Amino acid sequence: MQKQSTGYLFVLPALMVLGMLIAYPVAYTGLLSVTDNAGNYVGLDNFRRVLSARATPTAFWNTLWWVFGSIVLQVVLGVLTAILLNQNFRGRAIVRSVTLVPWVVPGIVAATTWAWMLHTEFGIINYMLTAPALIDEPVGWLTNGRTVMPVMIAINIWKMFPFVAIMVLAGLQAISDDLYEAARIDGASFWEEVLYVMLPQVRTVIVAVTLLLVIWALNHITIIYAITRGGPANRTLITPIQIFRTAFESVQFGQAAALSVMFFAVAIVVVFIYIRTLASNPEETR
Amino acid sequence: MASVTINNVRKSYGELEVLHGVSIDIADGEFVVLVGPSGCGKSTLLRMLAGLEDISGGEIAIGDRVVNGLQPKERDIAMVFQSYALYPHMTVEKNMGFSLKLARAPKEETRDRVAKVAAMLNLSDYLDRYPRQLSGGQRQRVAMGRAMVRNPEVFLFDEPLSNLDAKLRVQMRSEIKQNHHRLKTTTVYVTHDQIEAMTMADKIVVMHGGIVEQVGSPLDLYDNPANLFVAGFIGSPAMNVIGGKIRGGGFVGEDGTRIALPFAATDFEERNVTLGIRPEHLLLDAKGHAAEIITVEPTGAETQVLLRLAGHEIVGVFRDRILHKPGETLHVSLIPERIQLFDGKSGQRIDFREAA
Repeated sequence: MQKQSTGYLFVLPALMVLGMLIAYPVAYTGLLSVTDNAGNYVGLDNFRRVLSARATPTAFWNTLWWVFGSIVLQVVLGVLTAILLNQNFRGRAIVRSVTLVPWVVPGIVAATTWAWMLHTEFGIINYMLTAPALIDEPVGWLTNGRTVMPVMIAINIWKMFPFVAIMVLAGLQAISDDLYEAARIDGASFWEEVLYVMLPQVRTVIVAVTLLLVIWALNHITIIYAITRGGPANRTLITPIQIFRTAFESVQFGQAAALSVMFFAVAIVVVFIYIRTLASNPEETR
Repeated sequence: MASVTINNVRKSYGELEVLHGVSIDIADGEFVVLVGPSGCGKSTLLRMLAGLEDISGGEIAIGDRVVNGLQPKERDIAMVFQSYALYPHMTVEKNMGFSLKLARAPKEETRDRVAKVAAMLNLSDYLDRYPRQLSGGQRQRVAMGRAMVRNPEVFLFDEPLSNLDAKLRVQMRSEIKQNHHRLKTTTVYVTHDQIEAMTMADKIVVMHGGIVEQVGSPLDLYDNPANLFVAGFIGSPAMNVIGGKIRGGGFVGEDGTRIALPFAATDFEERNVTLGIRPEHLLLDAKGHAAEIITVEPTGAETQVLLRLAGHEIVGVFRDRILHKPGETLHVSLIPERIQLFDGKSGQRIDFREAA
């Protein structure tokens, strides 16, 4: 017993810092969610009000679409890039560095630049498409309700796939050359090597990276808020932005907190299910 | 099964040539060991045979087929790596059946062939295990099993026993040998360990500095090494060498010690030569040369004695028990018929018996 209490003493400073930075805000959010702006207890009023708001289900479906669309393509594109960068070719070092650029550019800079490039009248993208007559008239990328979310997802993929690529590349480089050679002698083609040697070896990396991407997509604000603020007509309103706007634009801290609490619960469930189903393979535990 | 013909093969990395025209003929079913110190090009040659390295010059044929431009999978070879290179995420069964799976063999057939080979290698109880759950010797067997399942024309082994402890190495050596007797598949085996080469090979190829020094059966290389390198590399402890000259038909060491030769080597008068004698060809002989004892190493069955003779340190291996202490004098003679002479400059063996 003596030993155990000494142990607690040692972790106490760290626990105090964690408590102030994490436990307190979480607890305070819980408190905010059941009070009004004046600090009076209002029970579940905030929850009721938030749930009955028309934007809430819209934001929920938008969030799903946003997270799912981003993750799948980020991972696929990132892994393919990693496999490409793992091959021997001239100028590989340069290509590796250049690949990282989107990930290095600050989010707000990237968002603003893309907003300009996608501008309906003056953007370079419409210019490049209309000049050689690939399309007849300019597309309102950011104003058209059908294109705006895919465009946001595309920007997010562009921003994050280098991260996936670099992490997976690090995993690929840890694979011994002998394994590739053994596979070649066993008769594997390049894509069979990818399927049977590379991907199984970097599975744990992909699982970890995907988890990070899910979390980052779930609490994402920068790109969407900087370009559309959730518009047009709530087409790109995802829950974190709804929370942000409820709190800081409508100054409804109680309702924002109530939404946060629910969102937190959903996120925890998603992450938990993901870890249970994908991250653990009892037969293969090391 | 197939023969393998390696004809004047060269390998360069840019300007640097590491194999300078190597030719080896390997008969169908033969067990050939490529042996040499590290950096001699033996592994490179094996990898060229496997198709893992390009061939810079010359020709390699398996059977009647020139394989220079063929991918590894088109060569009908199987290889066992030093690291075993087992797929860590696959069970033993999947590891062994992987090549058949890639070849789109029917599942039934794959399972049968894997089971048969596993039984042969005592792996039947481990088919569901992952490589990391196996001991070193078991992993080694899985690596061999993976090669055997394919029933290839040629087996290639790249230092397969280097990662095992001494006892297991001896055991696996005989298992590999037994499997070869059973399967009679042409085998090319690379090692730096001359004992492995001596004990396993039908034919040894001694390589050094990117060339073949000598090709022959183990005992042929042991008894008649073509040059000083082979003499020193094959055999443990190594052949003793003493520098000197031929004078008056006999050998005179640098310090003036005269050593009798079986014939008068008068044709080579005044030529600089190196005399070679194997440790077991020294005899205790009261009338022999006086040699100072440096160390005595009894191994039970025999005694290994390090001596100073004619200014050189030489090793003698005697069946008798030597009870002398370091610093004392031992009288030994060299069996004249067993003496080898090598040219002082080129190191090539001088066939003085024929000349005489």
